[in-house]
Amino acid sequence: MFKDFFLFELKLRFRSISTYVFFLMPFLIAFFAVSTSDFGPIGAGKVFKNGPFALTTIFLQLTAFGSILIAAIFGPSILRDFQEDTYQLLFTKPISKLAYLGGHWAASLVTTVGVFSGLVWGAMAGAFMPWADRTRLAPIHFWWYLQPFLSVTVIQIFFLGSLFFCVAALTRRIVVVYLQGVALFALYLIGLVSVIATNKLERFWPSVFDSLGLIMFQNVTRYWTVVERNTQLVKWSGEFLYNRLVWTGVGFLALLAAFVLFPMSAEVLGSRRSSKHAKEAREEEAAESGRPPRRFGVELPRVTQVFGSATTWKQLLSMTRLRFFNIVHEVPFWAIALIMIVFVLISGHFAGRSNGVEVWPVTYLMVAVVSGQSGLFLVIIGALYAGELMWRERDVRFEQIHDSLPLRDWADFVSKFLALTLVETVLASVVLVCGLLSQAMEGYFRFELGQYAKEIYLIYLPQMLMVILLALFLQTVLGNKFVAHAIVVGFFVLIPVLYQYGIENRLYLYGEITPYTYSDMNGYGHFVRGLFWSISYWISVGGLLGVFAVSFARRGTEQSFASRLKAAWPRMARLTPTATVFLLLGGTSGGVFYYNTHVVNKFRTAEQNRHRSAEYERRYKKYQRLAQPKVTAVDAEVDIYPERRSFSGRGYYTLVNHTDKPIDEVHVTDSRESVEDVNFDRPFRQTLGDKEYFYATYQLDKPLEPNESMRMNFRVAYTSRGFKDGNERPEFAYNGTFFDRDYFPFVGYNQSDEIDDPVRRREEKLAPLEEMAAPGDPYYSNINLFTSDSEWVTFHSIVSTSADQIAMAPGYLKRDWTVNGRRYFEYDMGSTRINNFFSFLSGRFSVKRDQWRDVKLEIYYQPGHEYNLDKMMDASKTGLDYYEKNFSPFQFQQFRVLEYPRYRQFAQSFPNTVPFAEGIGFIERLKKPDDIDLLYFVTAHELAHQWWGHQLIGSQTQGSNMMSESLAEYSALKVMEKKYGEDMLRKDLRYELDRYLRGRGGETRHEPPLVLVQREPYVWYQKGALVMYALADYIGEDRVNLALRNFLEKNRYAKGPYPDTRGFVAALREQTPLDLQYVITDMFESIVLYDNRAVTGSYVETPEKKFKVTLKVSAQKKKADGSGNETPMTIHDLIDVGVFSGTKEHLKRLNLHKEWITQETGTFEMVVDEKPTFAGIDPYNKLIDRNPADNLIEVEKK
Amino acid sequence: MLSIRNLAKTYPGGVRALRDVSLEIPPGMFGLIGPNGAGKSTLMKILATLLEPDTGSATLDGLDLVANKDETRRLLGYLPQEFGVYPKMSAVDMLRHLAVMKGITKSGERKEIVEGLLQQTNLWDVRKKALGGYSGGMKQRFGIAQALLANPRLIIVDEPTAGLDPAERNRFLNLLSSIGRNVVVILSTHIVEDVRELCSRMAIISSGELLLEGVPVETIDALKGRVWRKVVGTEAEREAIEKAFPVISMHLVGGLQELRIYSEQSPGQGFAGAEADLEDVYFHHLTRHRPN
Repeated sequence: MFKDFFLFELKLRFRSISTYVFFLMPFLIAFFAVSTSDFGPIGAGKVFKNGPFALTTIFLQLTAFGSILIAAIFGPSILRDFQEDTYQLLFTKPISKLAYLGGHWAASLVTTVGVFSGLVWGAMAGAFMPWADRTRLAPIHFWWYLQPFLSVTVIQIFFLGSLFFCVAALTRRIVVVYLQGVALFALYLIGLVSVIATNKLERFWPSVFDSLGLIMFQNVTRYWTVVERNTQLVKWSGEFLYNRLVWTGVGFLALLAAFVLFPMSAEVLGSRRSSKHAKEAREEEAAESGRPPRRFGVELPRVTQVFGSATTWKQLLSMTRLRFFNIVHEVPFWAIALIMIVFVLISGHFAGRSNGVEVWPVTYLMVAVVSGQSGLFLVIIGALYAGELMWRERDVRFEQIHDSLPLRDWADFVSKFLALTLVETVLASVVLVCGLLSQAMEGYFRFELGQYAKEIYLIYLPQMLMVILLALFLQTVLGNKFVAHAIVVGFFVLIPVLYQYGIENRLYLYGEITPYTYSDMNGYGHFVRGLFWSISYWISVGGLLGVFAVSFARRGTEQSFASRLKAAWPRMARLTPTATVFLLLGGTSGGVFYYNTHVVNKFRTAEQNRHRSAEYERRYKKYQRLAQPKVTAVDAEVDIYPERRSFSGRGYYTLVNHTDKPIDEVHVTDSRESVEDVNFDRPFRQTLGDKEYFYATYQLDKPLEPNESMRMNFRVAYTSRGFKDGNERPEFAYNGTFFDRDYFPFVGYNQSDEIDDPVRRREEKLAPLEEMAAPGDPYYSNINLFTSDSEWVTFHSIVSTSADQIAMAPGYLKRDWTVNGRRYFEYDMGSTRINNFFSFLSGRFSVKRDQWRDVKLEIYYQPGHEYNLDKMMDASKTGLDYYEKNFSPFQFQQFRVLEYPRYRQFAQSFPNTVPFAEGIGFIERLKKPDDIDLLYFVTAHELAHQWWGHQLIGSQTQGSNMMSESLAEYSALKVMEKKYGEDMLRKDLRYELDRYLRGRGGETRHEPPLVLVQREPYVWYQKGALVMYALADYIGEDRVNLALRNFLEKNRYAKGPYPDTRGFVAALREQTPLDLQYVITDMFESIVLYDNRAVTGSYVETPEKKFKVTLKVSAQKKKADGSGNETPMTIHDLIDVGVFSGTKEHLKRLNLHKEWITQETGTFEMVVDEKPTFAGIDPYNKLIDRNPADNLIEVEKK
Repeated sequence: MLSIRNLAKTYPGGVRALRDVSLEIPPGMFGLIGPNGAGKSTLMKILATLLEPDTGSATLDGLDLVANKDETRRLLGYLPQEFGVYPKMSAVDMLRHLAVMKGITKSGERKEIVEGLLQQTNLWDVRKKALGGYSGGMKQRFGIAQALLANPRLIIVDEPTAGLDPAERNRFLNLLSSIGRNVVVILSTHIVEDVRELCSRMAIISSGELLLEGVPVETIDALKGRVWRKVVGTEAEREAIEKAFPVISMHLVGGLQELRIYSEQSPGQGFAGAEADLEDVYFHHLTRHRPN
C-alpha cells in the first residue's frame, strides 16, 4: 500500500514539467556560481569556487532561497486530494494512515532531494567549463560536494519539507504552508537583525536556532583564512552540530504531529473543511423545510438596468471592495502583516544602531530600516495575492457566473490592481506608523512626516505597484499560478545577477529606479529628477503590462492559448487608446531618462569604467618611473556653484626639478576628467591628449634644468548636467560640496588609479598588482607615500560660492568679501608647508567656535545636528593636549571639522581641515555608559593624522601606511582611554580583534606583517591598534610614546629620503627591554596567532577568609604565512593571567599579572580578597587569539 | 424568441461537442434533455458568452449573442451546472455586489430585488451567514437567486435541480415557472420529469446533435398506442425480445423486469399497451439514433 502511494506520487512528479523546471533552477545557479567569476555568493578573491567553503556557502544559500521549492513540492502532495475532492473517495477505503501519509511524504522527499541534487550536478559541471577561471578551481573532491549536500541541503529538505507537509496535512490549505515559510524566514531575519544590529560577538544561540543555517555558517567560519576555506569542511561539532540536531529534531516532531493528528476519515476531513457554519446551515434547513412553499403569485420586483460610465465606476468600486475584503479576510494576510509589524518594530528598535555604534534614529535611518525590512513582506503579499486574486474565481469555482457578468474586461483587471494597491497602501501606512512609533520608543521626537510621506508614498509604494503589475501580468499570461510565482521570485533573484554581469542599465531592468540617498543637508536633492523619471517610466511600463494582461485575461471557459490569443486581438484594439497613453507616458519618461543618462551624460557600466582604468594602466604604466618635476606650491582660485553642482577653477603649481637631469616633457593624469587646460610659463607644445584614458603629455621647448622651477598653469572644472543612472558624483551637492585634489592635475602616471581587485585584474588581462617596494628601496624611498608627484607644498587659495554658503579650503582665512551676489574667501597657509592634499568645501553651515591655547577650533555643521559638538570639541582639546605633550608641537593655529552629506561615509584629515560625514558622528548618541564613543575616537584619530600624515610622511614602500594609520589609531585609543578609562577600551579592542580576524579571512592577496603592510586596511587599522596598544601594555605607555617622539623628531618634514618602518621598528626596539624584544618580532614583523584557553578554574576559601583560585590554562602559539598556513611555534611568552569578580560584561579585576608561559599547559594559583567569579589567561584579549571567547572561565567553588 | 442557427463547436482535443444545431426557442420554459456529454452544457455556455462557437449564430430578438457579448451579459441570468462561492461573503452582500454588476444602480431597487430574491429562495434567515457555510441546497438556491437578479430576459439554468431534495426542487421549479412566462428560460436536465412538469417546449440532444424538438405533450401524443410493455422472466426471453423489437427502456417494477418496446402495431406475445410518457419519448429517440 505504501508502495502504491509512493510510486503513484513519484510518477506524478516525474510527469510534471514543474519538477524539471525546479531542478533546473538550482542546477543553473550552482553551475554559474562555480563557472563564472563573480556570480553567486562567492565573490572575487582567492577562495576556490568549488572548494569546500564555496560549495557549502552556495548550497546553503540556494537551499535557503529554494525553500519555496520545498514548499511547492511537499505542500501540494497532500493537498491535491483535497483540492480535487478525491479525499472523499480515498478515505472511505481501508487504507492505512502510515501508507497514505508516508507514501506522499517519502515521494516528496525523494523528488525534492532529486531537484536539489541539481546543486551538486550544476556545481560539478560548472568546474569543467572552458571559460571558468582555472586559478580559482580546485580538483574535484567528491566529498566536498557530498558533505555539504547531505549536512545542509538534505537536512534542510527533511525538516522544512516535513514541517510543510505537516502543516499542509493538518490545515489542508496551501497558503498556510507558504505562510509558514514566511514565518521561518522571519525567524532567520530576526536572528540576523539581532546579530548585525547589536554586533554582539556572542552568537551561539542565534546560530543554533538559525532555521536557514546562514547565520550559523557565517559564525562558524568567520575567522577562516583562505587556506582553511579551500581545504576545510565544517566539522560536526559546536554550533553546526547543535543547529543540525535541533532542526532535524523539529523535522521528526513535525512528522510525528502529522501522523498523530491527521484524521483519517472523510467525514472529519469534510466537516473540518466547511467549518461550523455548515452545521448551523443544516439546522436552519431542518427548521425551514417545514414551511409551506409559496406556490402562486411569485412576482419579483422590477428593476432598471443602467449601463454607462457611472455604472462602470460603481462596478469597479464594488468589485474592488469585494476583492479588498477577499484579501483582508484571509488569515494568512493577517499573519504575514503581523509578522511584518513585529519584524519592523524589532528592526526599528535597532535603526539607530550599526556596528555597535548608537546614533539617533533620525528619519532617514528609520525610514530606510522600516521600508527596507518591510519591503520583502509587501512584495510577498503583492505577489501572493496577485496570484490569489487572479485565480480567485477559478479557485472557488465562481468563474462561470463571474465571467458572464456584464462587467468590462478592463474593470475586472483594474479592480484587482486597485484592491492590491489599497492593501499595499494600508500596509505601507502601517509601516510608516511603525517608524514613527519606533522613533518615539527610542526617545526621538523630531518627527519629519513630510519625509516619511515622500519616501513611503512616492518612492516605496510605486515600487510595490510595479511588483503587483508584473505579478498580475505573469499570472494572466502564464496559465499556472505556481509557475508565475516562481518567475516572480526568479525575477528578484535575477536582477542582482544581471547587475553583476554588467547589465546595469536601469532602462532595461524592470522596476529598477535610480539609486538615491537622502541627506539631512540636502533632502533628496539632485536625486529627485532621476527618481521622478525612472519611477514614471516603470509605472508606465507596468501600465502597459496591465494592458496586455487585460487583453489576455481569461474570460469564459476557453483554455487554449490559441483561443485566448483570438480573444485578445479585439480587446487589444479596444484598449489601444489606453495603451497609447501608457506608451506616451513611458516613451516620454523613458526618453527623458535616456536623454539624461545616455546623451547628456555618457552611460558607462562598472565594467566599462574598469576597462578604462585598465587601459590607462596598459598604455601609460611605462611612465611610472619617468623623471618628472615635483609640485612644491599650489595656488588656486576656485568658484563653486552649489546650485548647479559644478565648479570651475584656475591656478598654478610650482614645479621643481629635483632630479639631476633636465626634464623636457611633463605628463599629466586627469583621472576625474576635470582638467580643461594646462600650460607653462615657457614655450611648450602638447604632444599627447588622450582624453579617453585620462592622459596628456607636454613637450617643453626649453627643458627644466635640475633644481630649476617653473609654473604650470591649469584650468579645471566639473559641470553636472541633467542626471545620471546612478554614479552621481558625491562630491557635488546643493548643500555640502566636498571635493579634493583629485580634481586637479596629477603630474605623471598615477599608480593609485590602478585596479587592485585581483579578479578584475585577471579579467582585464593585467598582471597581478605590483607589490609595493621593500623599505629602503633606492627609488621609492624618495617618493612621498601620499602624493607621489609632490613634495611638501605651500598653499594659497581664493574660493567663492553662493551668497548663502561658506566655502572652505586649508589655510588661514585672510579676507572674506561679497561681489555680485557671491561670497569669496581667501585662504593662505603662509610658510607652513603641507602635504599636497587639499579639499574644497561649501555649505550652509552653522559654526561652533572654541579655543585651545592659541589654536582656534571650529566646527561647521548642519543646523539641527548639535548633538555632539561639545564632545567633538572635547576630543580635539584632549587630543591636542596629549599629542603635543607626547609627540611634538601642533603645526597649525587652527583645527576645523566640517560636516558633509552622507553620500560618502568617512572622515578624512586634510591639513587643519577634517571633513566628517553627517551620518557617522554628528548624530551619534550614547545610550549606555559603556557604549563605544566612535565620534570621540574618530575625531581624535583624524586629529592625530595632523601628526601622523601631516608631519610624518613615509616613503612609498611597504609598511609606511602603518606609520600614519596605526599610529593615528594608537594615539586616538590613548585619548579615548583618558576620557573613558581602560575598561571601555578593552571592549572596543574586542571589536578590533573581531574585525582583524574577519579581515584576514577575506584577504584576496596575501596578508603582510604589520610593518610590511601595503594596501590592507584591516592590518593597518585593526591589527595596528591591537598591537600598538598591547605593546604599550608590555613596555609602558611612556616608553612607546618616547619611541614615537624620538622617531618623529628625527623624521618630521623629511623629504627624500622619506622614513620607512625600519627606522620605526628600530625606535621601538630601542625602548623595549631585551626579554620583550620578541613582542616586536611577533607582533610587528610576523603574523603570530595565539590559542589561549582557560581549561578549568576553581577556588577554595582559606581560613583567613580569602579565596585561593586554581586556574588551569593551555596556551599555543602559531605563525601564519600570507595565505593563512599555520606552523606551531614554541611558546616562551609573557601573558596575563587574572582573577575577577563581577559579570562577564563588567569584570572587576582582583588579580591581574603577567606570567612567563613556557609550556602549552600550566596551572596558576592566586589568592584574592573577594569572592571570585571568573579567571583566565589573557582575559582582555591583548594578544591575537582566534578563539578569544574561551580565555575566561567561570570559577567554581571546590 | 431565441433562434439558434447551425451552431457547432469542436474542442481543441477534437471532441465535437455540437454539430450543426438549430433551434427556435420562444419565451417560456424550454427543456433541454440529453445524456451526459450530449453537448447541453456546451450549448448553454455558448449562449452564456463563455464559449466561442466555431460556426453558427444565436440571436435573441435580433440581438446576436455571439458577437455582442456585453449586451448579452446584461440581459442574461445564468446558473452554471457547477459553481462555488466566495466562502467568506454573506449572501446579502454578495447579491448586492452582483446587483451592481448587473447594472442595478438605484440603491432602492437594489435593496428591493435582493431582499425579494432572498425571500423567494428562502435564504432570508441566513442572508448574513458566510456562503462558505451553506449546504449544497442552500448554495444552489443562492445560485438561483443570483441568476434571477435584474429581471433577465434570457435565463439559462444548467442542471439546476441536481443536488436538491424533493422539497427544494419543487420550490425551485415553482419559482422558475412563475418567472419564466415571458422570458426565454432554457433549462437543461437529464431528469425527464422536470421537463414534463415545467416546459412548454423541449429538445433532446445527444452527441452534439439535435434529435427532437417540440411540445412535450405533442411528442408524447406521437407515441400514443405505440408503446408496449411486458414483464420478462428470463435472460433468454429478454434477448429474444431485444432482437425482435426496438426496446425503449427496461426497468424494474415491483422487483420484476419490465421491457418497454416501440411498435406501431400490437406485437402480441403477451405485450400490453402502455401509456406513453415523456420518458418513452426520450429513450425512444435516444435509442433510435444510437448507431448500431
